[in-house]
Amino acid sequence: MSVIVADGLTHHFGTEPALEGVDLVLDSAEHMAVLGDNGAGKTTLLRILATALHPTAGRLQIAGLDAFREKRRLRHYLGYVAHAPGLYPALTAAENLEFFCDLQDVSRSRVAEALDAVGLTRFAHRRADQLSRGMQQRLAIARAILHEPRLLILDEPDASLGPDAADLLARVMNDRAVVLATHDQALANRLCPRTLVLRHGRSHGTATRLRVVQ
Amino acid sequence: MNPLRVAMAVARKDLRSEWRTRELVPALAQFIVLALLIGNFGFQIDSRNAATIAPGILWLALVFAGLVAFGRTFAAEREQASLEAMLMTPASPVAIFAGKALAAAALLVLCEAVMLPALSLFFGTPFSGDVVAAVLLATVGMAALGCLFAAIVARVRARELLLPLLTLPLWIPFIIAGGLAVQSAMGLPGSYQQAIGLLIDFDILFVVLTSLAARFVLDE
Repeated sequence: MSVIVADGLTHHFGTEPALEGVDLVLDSAEHMAVLGDNGAGKTTLLRILATALHPTAGRLQIAGLDAFREKRRLRHYLGYVAHAPGLYPALTAAENLEFFCDLQDVSRSRVAEALDAVGLTRFAHRRADQLSRGMQQRLAIARAILHEPRLLILDEPDASLGPDAADLLARVMNDRAVVLATHDQALANRLCPRTLVLRHGRSHGTATRLRVVQ
Repeated sequence: MNPLRVAMAVARKDLRSEWRTRELVPALAQFIVLALLIGNFGFQIDSRNAATIAPGILWLALVFAGLVAFGRTFAAEREQASLEAMLMTPASPVAIFAGKALAAAALLVLCEAVMLPALSLFFGTPFSGDVVAAVLLATVGMAALGCLFAAIVARVRARELLLPLLTLPLWIPFIIAGGLAVQSAMGLPGSYQQAIGLLIDFDILFVVLTSLAARFVLDE
């Protein structure tokens, strides 16, 4: 069954096109990487897929539902890691996750599991503004998997994660459909069997495991 | 999902953050005391005119402290990019808005707890339950409106300029009714009951309207 069916996704910021007619199909438990230079439209595409941004044109179905009419229902279904971690600096790592447990309507017992999944158990009681950038990124990933979503949208999650980024991401991506935007082609090849290449907001097709070209 | 639980979680989170950082309340309390002090030295206050001047100073200080308190509610969320994370959950935007307004109102009430005794001290006016009730009732509606406009302007660069321009005209009913209530509570002619009735009506009207509008403001 297809988790994502996107048809002609287009988005303009004012008169400036950011995304032009992108089509995409993603099956359940399938992993797809989105590659492209800065300004290629990766973040715009991911924000649309995460239902955080309404496209100027095009249709999007997630889990068989119209993604924009049913977006609140779909929030149980998808997890999103945005560019910025978006944490509360004065709260500890555990308090940040407990707050989102209340908003996601899931048990607070999930906090320990999510922290463990990203290797932050030891830092549970450290304030978010005292965590390194990489740890903050791990905390943002933990927040995205708190409610055990079936679909994960990850916008450059490897940024500042450190040398074990691929292992950590492989762990959290397991058994989920994933769209992952990254600049790192080797990481994309390792984690995702399929790759979508964007250039100037247009899709340049999908490929299976791109060859790394110097 | 229980909207009350969401609102309480949001309010608790905001109050806990303020408790840890102490960014807002000490500065606001200091501002209020300074405003009262300036009012005290700026006017020739004596026992005959204190009840006429003190309510005006009270509402001026409260309005400007409120603009700062409510302006920070959504600006901080935008700056740390946490508003989007909150809105990406299944929680109702109205419940999130209610929680933010509740926390901002609680912070302003803390400042009022400094302001009302200080007003009584500087101006020699009575510190009565009637004055407290009028100020608290005005705070409810002012918090609802202030937070709504703070949410609207949070994504704009000139938000510090826009927030007073949008909010102050709609706060005028609270300032008029609240001013009348405080004046009559301080012994000037006027019907206290009528002014309090007006404040309650405005509270109901603006809390309902802002709750309806919050969904559209926060959803996109």
